[in-house]
Parts: sequence; C-alpha cells; structure tokens
Amino acid sequence: MTLTRRGFASLVAMAPFLPPASAEEGWAAIEKQAKGQTVHFNAWGGSPQVNDYIAWAGAELRKRHGITLEHVKLTDTAEAVRRVRDEVKAGKDGSADLIWINGQNFHVMKEEQLLHGPFTEDLPNFALVDTDGKPTTLVDFAEGTEGFESPWGMAQLTFFADGARLAAPPMSMMELLDLARDEPGRITYPAPPDFHGTTFVKQALAETMADRAQLPLAIGKAEFIEASKPLFDYLDRLHPHLWRDGKQFPQSQAQVTQMLADGELLMGLTFNPNEAANLVENGTLPKTAISWQNRGGSIGNTHFVAIPINSRSRAAAQVVANFLLSPEAQSRKANLRIWGDPTVLDLDKLTPADRALFADGDAPGAVKAPARAIPEPHGSWAPLIEAAWLERYGA
Amino acid sequence: MSRLGAVPLLLLWALPLLLALAMLLPAALDGAAWRMALAHPQLWPALAISLGAGTVAALIATMLSLVLIAGFYNSRTWHGLQALAAAGLAVPHLAFAIGFGFLVMPSGLLARLLVGGEAPPRWVTVQDPWGIALTLALALKESPFLLCAGFAVLSRGDKAGRIRAETRAAASLGHAPGSAFLRVVLPPLLRELRWPLAIVFVYGATVVDMALVLGPTQPPTLATIIWRALNDEDPATNAMGIAMTLLLTMALTAALGGVALLLRAARRGLRGLLTAGPSPLRSPRVLATALGILALAVLTLAILVLVILSLSPRWPYPAVLPPAASIAAWMNMTLAPLWLSLALSFAVAAAAVALAVLWFETQPPARDRWVIGIALLALALPQLATAGGQYRLFLPLGLTGALFGLFLAHLTPVAAYVLIVLAGPYRAFDRRYVAAARALSAPPLTAWLRVKLPLLKAPLSTAAAIGFAVAVAQYVPAQLIAAGRWSTLPMEAVTLSSGGNRPLTAAFALVLAAPPLFAFLAAALLGRPRWR
Repeated sequence: MTLTRRGFASLVAMAPFLPPASAEEGWAAIEKQAKGQTVHFNAWGGSPQVNDYIAWAGAELRKRHGITLEHVKLTDTAEAVRRVRDEVKAGKDGSADLIWINGQNFHVMKEEQLLHGPFTEDLPNFALVDTDGKPTTLVDFAEGTEGFESPWGMAQLTFFADGARLAAPPMSMMELLDLARDEPGRITYPAPPDFHGTTFVKQALAETMADRAQLPLAIGKAEFIEASKPLFDYLDRLHPHLWRDGKQFPQSQAQVTQMLADGELLMGLTFNPNEAANLVENGTLPKTAISWQNRGGSIGNTHFVAIPINSRSRAAAQVVANFLLSPEAQSRKANLRIWGDPTVLDLDKLTPADRALFADGDAPGAVKAPARAIPEPHGSWAPLIEAAWLERYGA
Repeated sequence: MSRLGAVPLLLLWALPLLLALAMLLPAALDGAAWRMALAHPQLWPALAISLGAGTVAALIATMLSLVLIAGFYNSRTWHGLQALAAAGLAVPHLAFAIGFGFLVMPSGLLARLLVGGEAPPRWVTVQDPWGIALTLALALKESPFLLCAGFAVLSRGDKAGRIRAETRAAASLGHAPGSAFLRVVLPPLLRELRWPLAIVFVYGATVVDMALVLGPTQPPTLATIIWRALNDEDPATNAMGIAMTLLLTMALTAALGGVALLLRAARRGLRGLLTAGPSPLRSPRVLATALGILALAVLTLAILVLVILSLSPRWPYPAVLPPAASIAAWMNMTLAPLWLSLALSFAVAAAAVALAVLWFETQPPARDRWVIGIALLALALPQLATAGGQYRLFLPLGLTGALFGLFLAHLTPVAAYVLIVLAGPYRAFDRRYVAAARALSAPPLTAWLRVKLPLLKAPLSTAAAIGFAVAVAQYVPAQLIAAGRWSTLPMEAVTLSSGGNRPLTAAFALVLAAPPLFAFLAAALLGRPRWR
C-alpha cells in the first residue's frame, strides 16, 4: 500500500504517542478510548429496513462497547460532504463521525483531505474482507481506497420484473433492444445524471464498446468521442422504442420501480441484487417477481463507511466500522428478511459457525444466476457520459 | 421608539438572510460558474418552462379564486368556502402532487375507471413536455392560499362593514350584484392581494418537489436543475447552481416588474371600467358553484387517494381497488419529531407575527417595499442556497445544531410569508378607529389592544396559521442547520420518502397535513367576526 503524504504526516503527528507493541494491544486501546463516545452516523435514511438495521447495530454497540450510535438520516450523501467541507474550512469540530459513502463523494472527500485515515488496516475484522474475490472493496470507482474507507456492502446492476408479465428477460443490452421493439413504450431508464441512469448507460457502454480494457483508465474528451460511438449508436436505436418514445425519462430509480409496480413499465433496475426480493417481502411486487444480471456481467461496486477528519469520536467510529464488518453484522445485513445487502466478507475465511450465519434460503425475487461484476469505469468517464447524454437527449 | 421598532425584524430576520446571501457572492461572481451555467444545454428551455408554469398557474389560480369569491361573497356558503380553502392550504404541496398525479397518470385512477385493459394507456398526462400537469396542479394548490389571503382582506373588522354598506349603496344605484362586486369589492381586494399574487407566481416558477413528480423531465424546470446542481458534491457544480439561481431570480424580477408596468399603463382603461354606470352583471354564482365543486372533488379525491396509497403497498393496473391493505407504512411514525415540530413552529409563527406587527406599527408604509422585497427574495431563492449560506454563517457562531439556529432558519421563510400576507390588510386598516379610541382618551396600547387588534384578528390569525403551516413544512433549513442534532417531522418524512416507497410517502404527507389543518381551522374560527 502506498503511504500518502497526509498518511505520513499523521504518523509523524502521532509519534509522541508511540504505537503499542502489537496490533491487538493497539485495538484494545482504541476500544477503551471509544467507550462512552457518541458516533453520529450520517447515512441515507430512505429505507425503513436499512434504518432498522442501523438501529439494531446501535443497540448492539451500546451493549458491547458502550458507544452511542446516532443515525443522522440523509436524503443525499453529498449533504454530509458539503457540511464537513464547510466545517473544516471554519475550523470547527465535526457534526459527522461516520459517513456511508462511495464513488464521487469519496473521491471528493479524499482529494480535499476531508477524511481521517488510513484506518482500515487497523480494524481486526478487515482481514475477513474478500479483497481478492471482490476487488472493488479496495478500488472505489477505479480509485484506490488507500485505507480511507472501510467496505460495508456489495452492489451490482440488476434488473427486475414481474415474471408473470415478462417470461423471458433480456440478458444483454442487445436483447433489451429486441424487447423494446416488441413492447414499445414499456421500457425506460432514469435520465442521467441520476446515479442509476448513468449506470444504465455505463452498462450499455461496457457491452457495446470495442475494447473494455479502456474503462479502468482515465479518459479525455477526444478519446471519449471515439470510444463512445457504439454506445450512442445503440442508444439512438433504443430510444425510439422507449417510454414516451425516449423523449422524456423518469427522474429516479424509485419512479421506475413504482411505474413497474403499477404496471406501466415492464422492468426496473437497481444496484442491490436483492432489491426485488425485498420488494416482494414488503408487498410492493408480487411473488412472481424475478431478478437478473446481464449474461456477460454487470457494473458492480462496493459501498463503504468513512470517518471525517474533524470527527471528535474517531476511536468509536473505528469500532463501529469494525463491528459493521463482523460476521454477525454482515450476515444479518445480508439476510433478505432484514436488509438483503450482500456481504463484503470472504466466507472461506470464516469459522464454520460464522459461515453458517450466512446460510440464507432462496427467496422469491432473488437473482438466480449471479453474473460477474464489471468494475466501475474510472471517475473521468461519468462526467463525459452525462454531458454527452444531456447534449444529445436533454432538450 | 419609532425607528427602533424595525430593529427586531431586521436583526432576527433580514440580517441572517442577507448575510447568508453574501456568503454566496463569490460563487455568483465566479466567471467559470457562469460559463458552465450558460453552456448547459437545457438552460433556456428550462427557464422558459419555469416561467411559463409560474405565470399560467398564477393566472388560473387568480381567476379561480376571484370567481369563487365573487360567486359566494355575502352568501351562506361563504364560511363553507373558508373551511374548504383552509383544508386545501393545509395539504402539503408534495402530497397534493402525488394524489393529483395518481388521479390523472396513465396507470392512475381515471384510466382504471375509464379505460381499463391489460396495460395502462399511453397517455401523456403527467410529466408532459409542456408542463401542463404541473401547471394545473400548481393552480389548484395555490388557489386556497389566494382564497385565504382574500378572506383575510374581506373579513377584516374595519372593512367588512364598509364594503357591505358600499355594496348596498351600489345596489341602490342600480348595480346588479356582479357589477357591484366588480366595482366595489374587487379593486381594494386586488390592491391588498398584490404581494400574495406575486408570491404565487414566484412559488410556481421555483417549486421543486411538485416539479419532480409532475413536471417535464427533458428538459426539466430550471428550479429542478438548480436543485440538483446545489445538491452535488462538487463545488464547481454548486457554483453553477448559484449562477443559475441568480439568473432565475433576475428573470422573475423582470417579469414582476413588467407586470407592474403593464398594470400602470392599463390603469386609465381600468378606471373607465370601474367608474362605468350600473350594469346588470350578475354574480357568477353558477360558474362559482361548478368550479367550487370541481375543485372540491379534485381535492377530496387526491386526499382519498393518498389515504388508500398509504395503506396499499401494491396497487397494480387495472385494479380499481388495491388487492390488499397494510398498515406497515403507518408503523414508521415516531412521536418525538412531531413534538419538536409543533413547539418550534408555534414559536416561530408567533415570533413572525409579533415582529411583523412591530414593523407595521412603527415604520412608515413607504419602507414596506424593502422588507417585502427581501421577503420575496427569501421565498424566490432556492432554500439549498439560502439555508446553505445560513449554514456557513451560523457555523462559526455556534448556531448550527442549536435550537436558536433552527429557530432563525425557520423564521426566514415564515416571517417572509407573514409579511406578505399581512402587509395589504394591515396597511389598509382604517386609522380613524384608533384615532376615535385615542380621542376618547384611551392610552395607545389600550387603543391597540381593545380596538385595532380585535378588528384585525382575521388577517392576523390567517397570517399566524400560514406561518405555522410554512414552519411545519420546512425541510431544507431544518436538515442543514440541525446538522444531525435535532430531528423534525419533515426531516423524518423527507428522508424516508427519498427511498420512493409510495405508502410511506403518502402516510407522511397526511401526517404533515394534520397540524396546519388544525391551525387553519382555528384561524377560521378565531377570525370570524363576533358582531355579525
């Protein structure tokens, strides 16, 4: 791992409090320091299941570590980014101690040196993470995490539908085009720069481009025009068959889901492979719901937790991050009846007893044949994709 | 004394707002931000849609309210209309948008009742590229506000009697009721309603939550683009949002100025109409009844639909009734944020009315245009910008995460509404009543408390209720200034709704409607003249 300049600086700053002899002792000291601290966990609050899960974690953390976990519910993580930026600029203590984060929000905070770290290597449970099988636990949208965020859960672009209305789901972007031709006006996707909309376009890019090896690399405008030609050829062919003839697009993934549930659309899209199972569980979708990932793989990433540099409860925040990585917390999170968020752990690294926690029966709506994850393109692609899309289809 | 009466309002309301706006200046003057804004391919069409929706919605709302007032003024249905307007005003904008949307959208109730079939018809009834659904919903939702403001004017103790007398005089001169209304009631009414009318236009052109549900998407309204830009994690995109905000504000100011000039030019022609002799124009009772019933039907259906939506996780097309009911959404309600919201909103509304009254009592009317200008600015600018500026302003002062900071942040929009609703009726008060009381040797305070306050209780209680309703509905300032240390009702509601779960959104919308509903009903009871 490369030591960033700031990482080095913080090591120097900590020199007077010489690190204890062993990692265990070091962690014990952090746990001791954490006792009695309050962690304001800034996390999206749009899902009752997630909120309940965080409340459960809070109760456990109080019992085991004497830590108070306050869930600060956000509608958009960027809000916490702006708040921390303003606070640091004003030299104030942080109102956030832990942020649920990934992608662009992480890049910005890391670049602007708003994050505490590196800290993940200190977390005992980090050793259980499947960093080989799930490389996105170390690489967030093609940028190394460098220990500044701790993985929490896995995400992968997944489509879903009511199997009673759509018996043969399209397993690739080309099959999607055929379906749209057969069912005009019943397919659509959220307009970029909505996160899910951009991801749909990235998926189309990955499936149409000549050389996918370009994706993890930074790209300039001129090269992008060349590389994205097949993409826009594809979208030009697809759009006339979409909802509202591809002239209007829904505003969000939630809206697409609602239109699917109401019967206006044939399929929806999500980043949580278990979302459809969840929606069956809470009654939004019928038991005939199905989910799938495109045959050749689909865009996947990891979501993380990070600690702002101006947090006053860094020790407790690390204990929380470590607890969230424990087999108990991860298996509970992966449980379809509780949240259904796939684990970041390597089950082979767990004890048989811990592994048994993950034994989760099949549920209606769950993905039957998972495809491999295509890592997110380098961060320079998204702005170019969004700008080009807006230019072509925006007005 | 007279000069100092302005201090509380300026210190607690104008200063925090203007200083917050000053925090945004660097972005507003940033050349790169302007270049980015002007290069945005959707900028001009989005601006056109925003201005169009705001203008047409304000025109329809004005016509609808005036027809209803003209049709029912001095009739037995008058108080019923007041209660209906109060109910309509209490319904949150987003709630109405969702309910209205579910009535007219392709998979909505109307299509299920009228069309049926396997799959929904391919109607373009919501999110239409011209913004028609948004405009209609805005017009319907804003009419109750204009009606309430109109009632505040017409029920005022000092004025009600005079208007009745003048109407009678007009009748004796041969004016039919419609003609008398046009020439006696309407002119002072419109004069006192000019700021509420302005705010309806400004609101329609800047609304975000309704536009997200009902408005066009390619291009969306400019306010939607601004909202997204200000929400972004990238400071350069935030700055572009500020530049676009400035542009939208300039366009709104120009539009309002243009209307003012047009009216000035048309004054001569209007005077001729107003002083024309008696005409047999009848009051538009039939039209008012028809429109009233239609508005009532849409409002009732929208609320009813919300209740059903809150209880049905799934309601697939073409079922006319949902297949199963569930109270799961209602189980997410927690009471702690409700108490904080009620207490905070009550305090803020009371303070706003007190500050406004203090201003009107101590300052010459000529100065009103400044505070009204600031009030319009407070309501026209996106709250992500104003509250974002306030966040940066309050941060070094230790006001973020503090109750007093929350109070000040809520006061910004609340006092603005109270000033706008109160300015017309308060300034038009017939001073001779107080003069008479003083002549009978009542001390100033006694004269105010015993004479002016009772005569002004209709507009004061309406303004307080509107202030309370506005305070209860605040999300953005609450979320930003609370910094995660406090939780109010809309914070719970909006964060949970961000997941797009329709039963949850509907349930919270109904809960958010309840406190203002009680406030408006209380105001309608309080404001009713006792001497009738």
